[in-house]
Amino acid sequence: MARFNAVDVVLWAMRIAVVAVVVIGTAGTLIKGRYNAAQWFDFVMFGLTIGSIYAQIALGYTMVYGVLRLINFAHGDIVMTGAFAGYFVATPLDRSGFLESHPVLGMAAILAVAITVSTSIAVLTERIAYRPFRRVVGLAPLICAIGVSFFLEQTFRGMFGSAVKSYPEPQWERAAFHVLGFNVPRVDVLVIGLALVFMGVLYLIVQRTRMGTAMRAVAEDGEAAALMGIDVNKVVVFTFILGGAMAGIAGVFYAFVYKQVYFLMGFTPGIKAFGAAVLGGIGNIPGAMLGGFFLGMVESVGPTLFLDGLGIPAPYQLRDLIAFTLLIMVLIFRPQGLLGERMARRRA
Amino acid sequence: MMRRAVLIGLAFGAGAVHIAAVGVLLAMHQRWIIVDALSLGQGALLLIAGGAGATAGRPLSGLLAGAAAGVPIAALVVLMSFVPLHAIFIALSPDLLDMLTLNFGLSAGVGILIGGGAIAGVLGAALRATPAIVRRAIFPGAIAVAVAGVFQELIQLIFQQYEGPIGDFRDFLYTWEGLTPQGAVTIFILTALCSEVIGSVWRRRVERMAVRDHRRERMVRAGIALLVLALLPAVAGSYIGQVLVLVGLYILMGMGLNLEVGLAGLLDLGFVAFFAVGAYTTALLTADASHALAHLSYWAAMPVAVFLSIIVGVLFGLPVLGVRGDYLAVATLGLGEIVRVIVQSDFAAPLLGGAQGILQIPKPQLGDFVLRSPVSLFYLTLVASAAAAFVAWRLENSRLGRAWMALRDDEDVAQALGINLVRSKLLAYGLGAAFAGLAGSIFATMLTSVYPSSFQLLISINVLALIIVGGMGSLPGVVLGSIALIGLPELLREFGEYRYLFYGAVLIVMMRLRPEGLWPSDVRQRELHAADETLALDAGADAVPAQPR
Amino acid sequence: MNAILKLFAAAVLLAMAHTATAATVGPVTDDLGVIRIAKGAPIQIGGYWVLSGADTALGLDEKRGVEIAFKDVGGKVLGHPLKLNAEDDGCNAEGEQTAATKLAANPQTVVVLGPACSSAATPGAPILWQQGIVNICTACTAPALTASTRKPEYAGFARTVFSDSEQGKADATYVHNVAKAQSVVTVHDGSPYAQQLQQVFADNFKQMGGKVLSQEAIAPTDVDMHPLLTRIASEKPDLIYFPVFTAAAAQIVRQAKDTPGLEKTTLMGGGSLLSADFIEAAGPSVVGFRIGYPDVSPEAMGKNYPKFVDEYKKAYNEAPISGYHANAYDGAMLAIKAIEKVAKEDKDGNLFIGKKALRDAVFATKFDGISGPIACDAYGECSQFKASVLEFTSSDPKTFGIGKNPKKIWP
Repeated sequence: MARFNAVDVVLWAMRIAVVAVVVIGTAGTLIKGRYNAAQWFDFVMFGLTIGSIYAQIALGYTMVYGVLRLINFAHGDIVMTGAFAGYFVATPLDRSGFLESHPVLGMAAILAVAITVSTSIAVLTERIAYRPFRRVVGLAPLICAIGVSFFLEQTFRGMFGSAVKSYPEPQWERAAFHVLGFNVPRVDVLVIGLALVFMGVLYLIVQRTRMGTAMRAVAEDGEAAALMGIDVNKVVVFTFILGGAMAGIAGVFYAFVYKQVYFLMGFTPGIKAFGAAVLGGIGNIPGAMLGGFFLGMVESVGPTLFLDGLGIPAPYQLRDLIAFTLLIMVLIFRPQGLLGERMARRRA
Repeated sequence: MMRRAVLIGLAFGAGAVHIAAVGVLLAMHQRWIIVDALSLGQGALLLIAGGAGATAGRPLSGLLAGAAAGVPIAALVVLMSFVPLHAIFIALSPDLLDMLTLNFGLSAGVGILIGGGAIAGVLGAALRATPAIVRRAIFPGAIAVAVAGVFQELIQLIFQQYEGPIGDFRDFLYTWEGLTPQGAVTIFILTALCSEVIGSVWRRRVERMAVRDHRRERMVRAGIALLVLALLPAVAGSYIGQVLVLVGLYILMGMGLNLEVGLAGLLDLGFVAFFAVGAYTTALLTADASHALAHLSYWAAMPVAVFLSIIVGVLFGLPVLGVRGDYLAVATLGLGEIVRVIVQSDFAAPLLGGAQGILQIPKPQLGDFVLRSPVSLFYLTLVASAAAAFVAWRLENSRLGRAWMALRDDEDVAQALGINLVRSKLLAYGLGAAFAGLAGSIFATMLTSVYPSSFQLLISINVLALIIVGGMGSLPGVVLGSIALIGLPELLREFGEYRYLFYGAVLIVMMRLRPEGLWPSDVRQRELHAADETLALDAGADAVPAQPR
Repeated sequence: MNAILKLFAAAVLLAMAHTATAATVGPVTDDLGVIRIAKGAPIQIGGYWVLSGADTALGLDEKRGVEIAFKDVGGKVLGHPLKLNAEDDGCNAEGEQTAATKLAANPQTVVVLGPACSSAATPGAPILWQQGIVNICTACTAPALTASTRKPEYAGFARTVFSDSEQGKADATYVHNVAKAQSVVTVHDGSPYAQQLQQVFADNFKQMGGKVLSQEAIAPTDVDMHPLLTRIASEKPDLIYFPVFTAAAAQIVRQAKDTPGLEKTTLMGGGSLLSADFIEAAGPSVVGFRIGYPDVSPEAMGKNYPKFVDEYKKAYNEAPISGYHANAYDGAMLAIKAIEKVAKEDKDGNLFIGKKALRDAVFATKFDGISGPIACDAYGECSQFKASVLEFTSSDPKTFGIGKNPKKIWP
């Protein structure tokens, strides 16, 4: 009974603190009335855009975790490899004017190269660094994943330099649609639309094809699946292919939105996307998508909505706090996420 | 069989291409092992080809493997000569091309690479086939030459101060640039002889001893090593002292994290937060700055820092009591990052100094004597580590320690056995944080300033890596891990850019080859190799190996 | 056991007693000690800069400036070759301390050049001065390092680069008097340099009668500037001043263009953006972007600056990659001239340098450097600051040239 009190007091204090910050901050911001509707709409649009990217990254985490029970710390860096590969295609295409005149072909080329590179690297890391740990419990796989993360980051830094590289900004991307008096940047629509398409394709693959069903079977119960004759190795490779492809696409989209590519760009979005995956329910694909969009919205709208109204000096320095607090709250209070159920219980 | 050799060679060769493309090879080429004769980069290539040969096994396969190892690099050279790869891959510069072809031009270069690879491969395979006695002589000799050559600056630094016969010997071995060929030969012969003589004497002693004395023997060896380490800064100077202070601080933190991860199984990636608390508390209580809270002496501030760290540790642990496994890692990572962001923010700047940090922290004083030099701070760290090691050792063998180990194995069972989970976990967090706080306190006074940029996630990962690589749950392992992962990169600061590349590679390799760490505790080793034991027993081995007579 | 303890204690005490003391060696007597360089042995000059990571260009550029200075004097001083022992400090305090300790532990280190980061100089200079080694800084601009209130352990510290107290004041003067901005918003990225510079700027601007609407902050790795810029837009400043580093500055420059309300606002950054990398990172929006930086146009620089640039290009296959190479060159020259003045040779050809004499010579030497006239005041500030503002003219990184793109628009 004593145990119940001390711990619960702290947990309740945390809940109250977070709710208080949210409520007071929001009230403060709305009272100040600094921002008009167009600006809020802008934040929301941007949140959906970055959310779709987080969703794609989260999918990779969730699928690998479902099948291997491993947090692939290096997944964020695989996103980075896709962005880099895309850069080396996008720049010459832009310089020659091809990207401007043939947007669809140009994007297709960029995405194709990015997907190829990121998938190859993902499969390679699985083969070299993760497969030997299939049966191992404990910390070794996690440490190995951290090692892979470092290795990828530094390899790319050594090969391509530590300076920040820029993605091109073609004209067709810069324009904006005008809908109902609001400004909708074209690049946002592009990214969200394409992301939804790709995620839809992934969902179909997982639900309808044989490999996808095998994947779900292994995620549910690896030993039983093996007993039923499923080649677990092949399924794992398939999972990494799907996850790697998603990561590559996410990398290119991220680069088109933020324009900057450098060797460390993948780590923090990776951690945040993992949070999104947990939020949605680890192992649950629609959950990962939902979690990604939610995280994107919170990240984009949150600093303005919560922190601005609290009267803190230089509130935007603290914006990462929002993502991390969300992550921690989910892990503490609802580890099974919004849509998932059994995965977390089993893990614990 | 031939196919296997070729595949092995190609794999090793791919590794060589990787280090070339990343830029490490060219950086290593700038360092001599033997001046004007063998650079570190060339040595690395030879080692790769030799390793391919050794892995392949028989001399003929070794030849094939070595040659195959040379092929990817040769292909790279050809490609570089015809395609402007330099525009994309910044490390594939003309300088690299010169290095790889030994300045002989394309066709000769390709020939040298493949031919040289083949020879190295044969040597590697041959080496593997030689009797142990020869290998025991060659390896230490080669390693000694490599160390003497690569660390020549450091060694010369240590011997700078001596004139006379020692100075003359030093001049024989080294020029201003590095190791001379005659120096290399001398060192090789000397080391080979020494290792052979000492090694055989040692081996005979070990064979004659009973199993129980083995442990004592290991303890004695560890004790001697520790004594050497402790006296090293006094002999070797302030630079070594400085490096060893950092190593010592990480040992302190490693022991703390060991309590949390190694004993209690609580994966904490937010450890740097406790380090920061210790440092900032010390700073705020002793600094000669305007927003300091007090102006105490260091000795008064340190206990407060440790105490505050314990409290923060408990506060950290309370929310995440119910979180397990990998999730706990990420949750604590998030908490650590939150602390880092707050410490740097303008929001907390009136108290914590924000981006400017807190400056003018005084050094500790013992009466009239100020602990200013790195060497004196090293001894402070040594004393602190010794005290902490004692506490850790006692905890390990106490009821609390055993409760932690039960916790690590299976929480539900432990609870069923009557262990108070909350108390045990909180004590783990608190005590682990205490060690980190102590380390942070010494860190603050060593630097005489605290900047928020010193408290990154990387430090938590460093500490975790060093206890895993050193051997989780074992105190000697923590020391070894710290020397390997913190001390060596400091000494090799020249390769600072590639430090994390090696780091990542070392982590992966260690986990694959030796997951129990370099110096595991006996418990750990048994656990990790329990499966092997079972297999062996099944195959008919005795449960208890026969004693030598 | 007793004997071992005594030996231990003796060794410890011996090792701890390790500071510069008066000595007479050869023909030289000096209060802080004398360095003896054997005949034919090199004169070892230490250097510590940031040589790895994202800011490599900064440190590497300076190291190259020093190397060219060595080459220009023929690689030798008084018959002894010059040897540069360059260390990497990673631009953080611990790396700095290790680098400085290593250099200080070498009894042959005559003088040390660097570092590139102010936060690195703060722990480093006292360590070196404890051994009587002079530290000539080539890019650290923090005001406190040469302030009249600086502590005695910085007595051996001098710099051939301007102080941010001058830079901030100059920027404020420009913004208030020339750009005629009434209200500004400043942004820093949590680094000591940026935070201090914008504070100096803000203080001066307020003194001149302008209004500082708010002082914002970001993290250096932030990519999404929309919320920050929208908030700033709602305050309607005339100018935004953000002396932050490349990645974040490029994001601000790009995204400000798309933020409604900021289309007419002037953007101004700091000297860390003077590189081709920044032009690449900022893309098309870089045209019209201004930075405050000392006057490095050929008219203001020493007359030998163009020759220096040519030598640099020949040796390293590229134009100078950052902004402080000239300061590094001048720092090296200052060191060399001081050594030439105080070094004494005995009849065997060995060289002797008194440490305090060297320090005094460094502080007394005056000459025309390629970054401007060099003359040290009593607190180590050796460079004469001339303010200017530069503006970028093209978004093609290949057109980067100091004075061309960006070109000087004031004075």
